[in-house]
Amino acid sequence: MNAIAEPLISLRNVGKSFAEGRVRAIDDISFDVQPGEFVSLVGPSGCGKTTLLRIINGLIVPDEGEVRVMGKPPQPGPDLAMVFQSARLLPWRTVRGNIEFVLALRGLQRSERADRADALLEAVGLKDFTGAYPHQLSGGMQQRVGLARALAVEPKLLLMDEPFAALDAMTREVLRHELLQLWWLRKTAIVFVTHDLDEAILLSQRIVLLRPRPGRVDQIVDVPLPQPRWQTNPRTLPEFAALHEHLWARIQGMAGDSAEIGELASLLGNPADRAKLR
Amino acid sequence: MTDEVDKVPGIERRIQPPGSNRRGKSQAELTAATRRGVERTITLASQLAVVVLVIAGMYLLNAVAGQLVMPRPDAVLSQSIRMWSDGSMLRALGQSLTVLGLGYLLAAVTGIGFGILLGGFRPIGRIFDPFVAAMNATPGAAFIPLIIVWFGLYTEGKVVLVWHGALFPILINTAAGIANANKDLIEMGRAFGARRVALFWNVMVPDAIPSILSGLRIGAAIATVGTVISELTMAQSGLGGLLATAGNRFQMDRYFAVVVVLMVLGTAITTTLRYAERRAGQWRLAK
Repeated sequence: MNAIAEPLISLRNVGKSFAEGRVRAIDDISFDVQPGEFVSLVGPSGCGKTTLLRIINGLIVPDEGEVRVMGKPPQPGPDLAMVFQSARLLPWRTVRGNIEFVLALRGLQRSERADRADALLEAVGLKDFTGAYPHQLSGGMQQRVGLARALAVEPKLLLMDEPFAALDAMTREVLRHELLQLWWLRKTAIVFVTHDLDEAILLSQRIVLLRPRPGRVDQIVDVPLPQPRWQTNPRTLPEFAALHEHLWARIQGMAGDSAEIGELASLLGNPADRAKLR
Repeated sequence: MTDEVDKVPGIERRIQPPGSNRRGKSQAELTAATRRGVERTITLASQLAVVVLVIAGMYLLNAVAGQLVMPRPDAVLSQSIRMWSDGSMLRALGQSLTVLGLGYLLAAVTGIGFGILLGGFRPIGRIFDPFVAAMNATPGAAFIPLIIVWFGLYTEGKVVLVWHGALFPILINTAAGIANANKDLIEMGRAFGARRVALFWNVMVPDAIPSILSGLRIGAAIATVGTVISELTMAQSGLGGLLATAGNRFQMDRYFAVVVVLMVLGTAITTTLRYAERRAGQWRLAK
């Protein structure tokens, strides 16, 4: 990869308010994402993670600052794909029909759509369910369809908004592994929103830590874990523990004098940390 | 890449595809089935008892209060047979169904059309909402004299009355279904680059279909009422006309024979549409 290539995403002093300027969602946010990079946005509630993702997707326009995605102001289109917290599948279409929906938006011929959809569903382990309706699938399987749908458009940039937050712990772990593999093989740039520190460290190369009210960049840290990560368990490495401790300390610091640290702990911490606070 | 991913041990992959475990019912399922069977038998037996009670009540009332207050059920039956065999009932049913069918079809087409317009283009919707609400709140009967003056006493006027009654529930349900289409799904479509037209036909309209079908079902019930009212108040014809003549001549057995036909007609229409509604809304089951 060319080191001096133009960044895939570049945000410069981006700010956005809601409710006619009364609620400041994000303020003065700047960072870049390189092609093929896996970046996590982490922070407590109210730090504008999802707002930021929507701005990068081009669904909303910032009030201030400059956003460029692939050198242009962002616009929803086939180069971007989004995976949401709930799978957001069209319930009246089959699993295959849901994939065909985005392939049609991409302008694929009708005859190609079914084959492409089936190939993708096989890749995420759902080839026996192509004719099933979303309500017949478990939450984890629905989220897999959501992932297959995003990959179907062969995006240069994959945006993920807490995609595993609503799943049970075991399914979440499996899907994280699969995501790491898919990313390693495809090298699609990923911007991943989460409020789970473990998840951010496990998955990403770089973490953008945000602080709340309004959302600002607190710190950008590199994750020094070796790649590829799905073959080993990085949780056992000392770097993992050190980074977790560092980030957690910064998040505790964010609580400052006004915010309720208990709220933050419940959102972010592991049980041991929560116990320490009491 | 396919091979790589397939090797990952997916927990959920062990779940069988839907439909693959239909064979072999467990003991618990069987007892549940038996219990359902017993419940169904009790319900049917009770319903039969109600029918018997109603018929017995009719005989009793006839014996106590006379032919004018309540005809004997066997007289109603013999009148029904006579009216069906001499063709008068069939002719009346044909006339009524013509009015009902034309009015309802017109209401469905215009109601869904305008509903899509008002629900899909909110600026237009906001302009017309109060007028639609006002028209819907006005009892349809208030327009009968106007309809007679504009469209006459015959089929045209009757069709317009039926159309007017059925239009608003269909229109309002269609507009509401589209205006309240799932915002998360719309955002999903936009995130993948869907333009307005694609969003409209692929997300908003399908999401509104259960609501549209509810409107069609309510509209059908009102259209049936409207048909009879139009036949009673305008030029007498069809089943409503038969009702009026029999009633005016105090032929209560003839009158009841027509009432039974209307009852069956109304039930058949509503049941059909409810079935269509359930079929089309199957994907909602697990929501």
